[in-house]
Amino acid sequence: MSTAHFLIESRGAVRDLGAFVVAARFDRHGRIAAFALGDGTLRLADWSQPGEWRELPVHDGAVLALAADPGDGWITGGDDGKLRRTASDGAIIDIASFGTKWVEQVATALGDKGGVLACAAGKVVYVFDAAGMKLKELAHPSTVTGLAFDGKGKRIGASHYNGASLWFVAAKTDSPRLLEWKGSHVGIAIHPEGEAVVTALQENALHGWALPDGKHMRMSGYPAKTQSMSFSRTGKWLATSGADAMVLWPFFGGGPMGKAPLELAGGDGIQCTQVACHPKEDMVAGGFTDGLVVLADIGSSRILPVAPPGHGPVSTLAWNAGGSHLAIGTETGYAAIVDFSKRE
Amino acid sequence: MMADAATEDLVPVTVLTGYLGAGKTTLLNRILSERHGGKYAVVINEFGELGVDNDLVVDTDEEVFEMNNGCICCTVRGDLIRIVGGLMKRRDRFDGIIIETTGLANPAPVAQTFFVDDGVRTKTRLDAIVTVVDAKHVLARLEDSHEAADQIAFADVIVLNKTDLVSAEELAEVERRIRQINRFAVIHRTERAALPIDQVLNRGAFDLKRVLDMVPDFLDSDEHEHDDEVTSVSFEVERPIDPEKFNAWMGVLLAEKGQDLLRTKGILNYQGDDRRFAFQAVHMMADGDFIGPWPADEPRRSRIVFIGRNLNRPQLRRGFEACQA
Repeated sequence: MSTAHFLIESRGAVRDLGAFVVAARFDRHGRIAAFALGDGTLRLADWSQPGEWRELPVHDGAVLALAADPGDGWITGGDDGKLRRTASDGAIIDIASFGTKWVEQVATALGDKGGVLACAAGKVVYVFDAAGMKLKELAHPSTVTGLAFDGKGKRIGASHYNGASLWFVAAKTDSPRLLEWKGSHVGIAIHPEGEAVVTALQENALHGWALPDGKHMRMSGYPAKTQSMSFSRTGKWLATSGADAMVLWPFFGGGPMGKAPLELAGGDGIQCTQVACHPKEDMVAGGFTDGLVVLADIGSSRILPVAPPGHGPVSTLAWNAGGSHLAIGTETGYAAIVDFSKRE
Repeated sequence: MMADAATEDLVPVTVLTGYLGAGKTTLLNRILSERHGGKYAVVINEFGELGVDNDLVVDTDEEVFEMNNGCICCTVRGDLIRIVGGLMKRRDRFDGIIIETTGLANPAPVAQTFFVDDGVRTKTRLDAIVTVVDAKHVLARLEDSHEAADQIAFADVIVLNKTDLVSAEELAEVERRIRQINRFAVIHRTERAALPIDQVLNRGAFDLKRVLDMVPDFLDSDEHEHDDEVTSVSFEVERPIDPEKFNAWMGVLLAEKGQDLLRTKGILNYQGDDRRFAFQAVHMMADGDFIGPWPADEPRRSRIVFIGRNLNRPQLRRGFEACQA
């Protein structure tokens, strides 16, 4: 790759933040990227205004989870047991406190009524309205390891030991659709059209349930655990990490059962750790353990180098809603925003 | 397997186990309150008992998960996989991790977690399993529970506590029983769990490089033992080992008897190799690596140790002897 031109050199803003980048997310308007760090701070970077990135201490400990607030700013969870909201102007408020339990999972959705928030602390998922008022507590048989809303914010899925639970957010009485499969499920993704739920397993494989019939899907062959899953904008593809390429499972034409996945940007033995599908096009960004970040066109399998290797395992990738900017973070504190917008 | 990975970068993890009331919390409070220059993240189950205020204390529910491979003894601590991952996000804040298990816990799932999960094994190393034993009550516990014996069997270091509450004869009998179960752990006699902290932390006892040090001279005893009692046996052979024969034998042995074999450790002289090969297993999960050349003044003998139940000494001996090239 030494001769390749990396887009970040001409179109990137790069910082060394000095702490593990746990997650990056843009605000709903897609203008400010927040980087959540292992030192408990959020760093805010407004790509329309070059200059210093703002530093805000939000958790006493590490920030463990980050999501865009349906209104303004971000929602974070920390190992201090707090769920907090940080507005884009830097104002921080508590939404809830869970004592000694870590808040490792946070999810948000636009939905109706201004949006909905959720977090997991231990075995319980807490759902809040956009104002931060608690709507419900959803109990699970074991610790919740992954949390995701469907595309419309109507249902929320939680992964745990021996399967996943799917709940209707607005249900009068709460009883989950239990999606059962033996084993330790450590992450969850929901198809944007609600056609499937997929979980990552401890045993380097994925398990899926087609909806509504609940038919099982097994996707295996990974040399490592899948930490990152991302459906393409229409749900045609599920991009995943855990192999030395981005592995994309086809969710069309009867797939993924009996179909081989598409492998992108592989071949050099370096493991993919993060994937993020583009919100508008059939493209996917992938990050690797050596710090390499690429953008792949799913249709043509063409690869555009974005960030060169050499700055630690990629720990997060996030697009803004318009798909014009990509945020990158690594375990060693490297962070960047890359501008993909058309230029005159 | 990583060849000679930079083990210094790996976070040492100490597992602290012991029956209810043995003095685990007393020992933990000592570790956290004494000045010894190290900062430790502590994973505990009963939050209220800990007297020390420490922002690196993690409260967890022990979640023992079966692996999806059809083997009921392949269990891991799902909560630890998550917690270690979370702690690694602020790696610069601490020097090591201490995991306290509940009094009734079987140590196997904790140990197996360090074999099974890549995220855990590439960032941490299991330093030692430390078992606190109540000198006054352990004999009764050994009568009425499997866990007390398992905790002693898994130990690299045994803190034999409350020695002030028993007579010299009783203490000798307790040590004899502990040695029957596990001849290879280091035993420290204590009152109120008082001992130099460096006898407990950073032992490198689980480190493959130290396996040899844990194997003392070989004393075969012919004492009668009940079949379900935990015992330990060890063997030594003179001729070099054929790696293929050893792997084939060990593969079958662990698959068939892994449930009874709590811990297996060995230092092997592989034919045609000048380096020592260190092997260890917890139930069916095995790991091994070359650990540097044989010392010039040391005879190149292969040794193996089994700690477990229903150990068939002649059969194990014949099996090991048949691995010689």
